[in-house]
Amino acid sequence: MAESVVSKPARAAAPQRTSREKRSVVDWLRSNSVYIAFALLVAFNLAVTPGFDNVYALRQLLFEAAPLILIALGQSLAIGTRGIDLSVGSMMALSSSVIAVAIGLGQPGAIVTAIAVTTLVGLFNGSMVTFLRVDPLISGLALLVAGRGLAKVLLGGSRVDLPSGGILGWLGMQSYFFVPVVAIIAIVIAVVVAALVRGTTFGRYTLFAGASRSAAFLAGTPVRRTLLGVYAISGLLAGLAGVFASARTGAADPNYIGVLFELDAIAAAVIGGNPLSGGRVSILGAVFGALLLQVLDATFIMNNIDYTYAQILKAGFIVAALYLQRAGH
Amino acid sequence: MNTTSTVPVLEARHITKTFRGFAALDDVSFALMPGEVHGLMGENGAGKSTLIKTLTGFHAPDAGELRLAGEAVTFADPRASQNAGIAAVYQEINLIPERSVAENIMLGREPRIGGLIIDRRRLNAEAADLLSRYGIHVQATAPLKSLGLGMQQMIAITRAIALGARVVILDEPTSALSGSEVDLLFALINRLRDDGVAILFVSHRLSECYALCDRLTVLRDGRHVCTETTADLPRTALVTAMLGREREAEAAGGARSEARDGPTVLATEDLSWRDRVRDVSLDIHAGEVVGLVGLLGSGRTETFKAIFGAERADAGRIMLEGTPLTRHTPAISIGHGLAFLPEDRRADGIFARLPIRENLTATTLGSLGRFGLVSRGAQRQLVDEFVEELSIKCSGPQQAISELSGGNQQKVLLARCLATRPKALLLDDPTRGIDVGAKDEVHAVIRRLAGEGMAVLVTSSEIDELLAICDRLVAINEGEIAGELDVAGRSADDVLHLLAGAAEHAPARDRA
Repeated sequence: MAESVVSKPARAAAPQRTSREKRSVVDWLRSNSVYIAFALLVAFNLAVTPGFDNVYALRQLLFEAAPLILIALGQSLAIGTRGIDLSVGSMMALSSSVIAVAIGLGQPGAIVTAIAVTTLVGLFNGSMVTFLRVDPLISGLALLVAGRGLAKVLLGGSRVDLPSGGILGWLGMQSYFFVPVVAIIAIVIAVVVAALVRGTTFGRYTLFAGASRSAAFLAGTPVRRTLLGVYAISGLLAGLAGVFASARTGAADPNYIGVLFELDAIAAAVIGGNPLSGGRVSILGAVFGALLLQVLDATFIMNNIDYTYAQILKAGFIVAALYLQRAGH
Repeated sequence: MNTTSTVPVLEARHITKTFRGFAALDDVSFALMPGEVHGLMGENGAGKSTLIKTLTGFHAPDAGELRLAGEAVTFADPRASQNAGIAAVYQEINLIPERSVAENIMLGREPRIGGLIIDRRRLNAEAADLLSRYGIHVQATAPLKSLGLGMQQMIAITRAIALGARVVILDEPTSALSGSEVDLLFALINRLRDDGVAILFVSHRLSECYALCDRLTVLRDGRHVCTETTADLPRTALVTAMLGREREAEAAGGARSEARDGPTVLATEDLSWRDRVRDVSLDIHAGEVVGLVGLLGSGRTETFKAIFGAERADAGRIMLEGTPLTRHTPAISIGHGLAFLPEDRRADGIFARLPIRENLTATTLGSLGRFGLVSRGAQRQLVDEFVEELSIKCSGPQQAISELSGGNQQKVLLARCLATRPKALLLDDPTRGIDVGAKDEVHAVIRRLAGEGMAVLVTSSEIDELLAICDRLVAINEGEIAGELDVAGRSADDVLHLLAGAAEHAPARDRA
């Protein structure tokens, strides 16, 4: 556009201004697309889907959304550094298995152990990326496979029921005014991560590492420490997501928990305005990206659309959303 | 070689190529004779790449014409140029590393039995025949990846010749080669010349061009400066032609040599990094501006990076106010009071989409707040201070740095350096690609900093600029310090002599 302005200086200013206004409207729509899409989808469901306006449906939806929100947060940080964390789904499963194995320590001890394990694995992932300079896509893929394998080995490949009371029972069942505890925790953590991004040096260094790795290095910012921190946080949040999912299921189930969640997390982050090219992090966008995908799932289920077709429709929706964003760059 | 009696195998006539209003080539004419090695010379941005891309069909010229053996041609795409017998061999070789030498040479025209099955025996024999004709001693059956980079390049050239190339363009073929590989390559080039192939040779190493080329063409700022036989173009004249000096040197401020009386702030001793920086020893005193002058590829950027710790030096010592810097990273160097402004602003300097505020405070962020929190107030104060001090033109600290002009971007990066209150400043071509007004402002800032006692090491591609801002110039050539000169009372001619002399006394790359 700039070019056409330069090459045709003689043309009247008025039509150009209109086109610029049109463009800024398009830009606004594009940068807020996730919120608009979310609002439209909710409106559609309220109008069409029977039972969507039911508070129990809302509660169920938030139960499902909480783990996805957590891993979408970690994913946003990794993507912000121009990286990616493919291990999060498997880390949920690993966390779940560790709870079952460590349940002898009592529920709090088991939960802390599970989260500590996935945090360490995240740190390991970050070490491969920073020190061995493995492409995060590759190290994440390795941990995706190895993590689920380890999760299955820990429980001999089978599902193990967890105690129904205590913290796990509270996380799995409790809600206040139809808002599940896990959703409240997820939102609080999202606020904390948003504060981390906006208000701390760590958040800035994350953006710098994604915006230009070499400029960040030459400016003397701690690139390695930052990357280690980002992948450790992603591992930690995936561990907590695994705790939430296990508590909801009432069991440690390494074959089922977190399967393909990494893809939803990536989709949520990117739809929410965290471009894969790095250097930009939108936490609010990631949260709404996660909610959008969850509402989409609910839409398919509540309208009795066959799961197989639902997956295809969802994929189409994600591609369309990403295309709309990419068109801006 | 006899260039007068024959028609040029490839000729460019009055070629003009413009990108976004910027003339990369402006009325350039140039002829390549069969059986000659023709050097194409010029600094960055002189238009060499654009000319090569025009000859090879990547760009269509806006004006002018190409002639192949006397007949006008247009190349719709690179393939058309290839089919016409023009082959370009770049450093990144477009061959298949996993396959054998013979398969690579014969790729796409393998001898077949009954039109189907590849006749491996004939394939290897034909390739071996070609290799021996050009004096390349490798097994035709060896996998390409088992060969060194130089040999792979020679295989690529052999393949081009086998496909019927009459013109071979070699763009910086030697920059990644060892001395003995260079010798082999030159032997091959000489053989091709004897066979009547025309070779266009691009290299930043002047000694190579003098050793190899029959004629030299110099481009500068997209214009043709001259074409001379190598014998008629002595080094001083060549360097002058490449760098130009239309602008009269500003009066070099006279008596600045007292600057050297200050204490030494930054010193290097026998600093070496690979073969790009060799035993470089420098002393920079408080209040002194030292210019590192050298042609492109002379090792000046690498010297900066080795001092700053962006590349880890292989040998030598670096002392900053008496404190040794060893195994240091940029972060450590900055902590000791060193600051570095990189040459490539876009790739190594700015965070394009982020605001001025974040770009300017990137290095000092940790010290602006406590407990890892960013203090917006302190950020704001620092930004305001430098926007004022360096007169950075912007709509506010929130503006994305990518929206600023090059000169203002550079000022933001300079402010990022200065915010650390450094003792010594390393400026790698600080005025590259910025407009004249901003240049003068940057010059003034550098002089003022020196006046306040800072030690400054600076490079530039423009000699006049170095004369204007430096107290002392140190010439670097092929990674080695080649001479030094007090600026007071000197002119660009003196510097050109120093540089040309440096190139003359280049370390002999033993060539049997």
